[in-house]
Amino acid sequence: MAERYSSFRSGSTAWLLQRITAAFLVVVLAFHFFNLHFVTHAANIEFAGSQARMQNVGYFVTMVLFLVTATFHGVNGIYNALVNQGIEGNAKRAAQVVLGVAGLLLVVQGIRVAIALAGF
Amino acid sequence: MSQSYDRGLIEDFGRWREFTAGMWAWVFHKFTGWVLIGYLFTHIAVLSTSLQGAETFNSTIQGLESLALVRLLEVGLLAVAVFHILNGVRLLFVDLGVGLESQDKSFYASLVLTGVIVVASVPTFVSGAF
Repeated sequence: MAERYSSFRSGSTAWLLQRITAAFLVVVLAFHFFNLHFVTHAANIEFAGSQARMQNVGYFVTMVLFLVTATFHGVNGIYNALVNQGIEGNAKRAAQVVLGVAGLLLVVQGIRVAIALAGF
Repeated sequence: MSQSYDRGLIEDFGRWREFTAGMWAWVFHKFTGWVLIGYLFTHIAVLSTSLQGAETFNSTIQGLESLALVRLLEVGLLAVAVFHILNGVRLLFVDLGVGLESQDKSFYASLVLTGVIVVASVPTFVSGAF
């Protein structure tokens, strides 16, 4: 029997949230790629088209949730990879602060962009 | 409780010749994860041109998309994203206790499916760039 090997402490809240966001991101990331490369080609993306999409409330909410979950999943993933590499003490605390602030700034800027694109 | 076995530290990359399929899956998942979070920051930076108005946004997107290098990097991003998604689904099932015994086969399936999806997507991604 193989033993489970994971960067995450099984049973922690972060472990559970990493998997819940994963399940959401699997669907939304695939949709995002398909929508903006196959339905609308990336080369044909224009402000007006983005605005039309973002003015649909369901799409707007999905994209904001996409931003928040992807940021959490990515930042938490990096943090756990660093912990897995063996960082401790001040380095661990610094990683928490830097990644936390970077993640927060990314979400704030992403929401500003979403609002600008939607024209709200 | 499952039995454990000592397969050594995966973080010791100098042992890469001894890595098993599951260890490669772990390495690839980490690598693609780092690329994706790096890209997310870049993506929001590019989309931030929308704060300067429609003209700046349009000229930035069209300028980037006119570069063949950007189109090729987008194919790379697709490969990274598709593998991370497929291997992520594999990990979710393994975490639920499904398919643990065939986790090596599902890793190979993730790799093959990623290759097929990426190759099939190349014409769409590079059309008009060359």
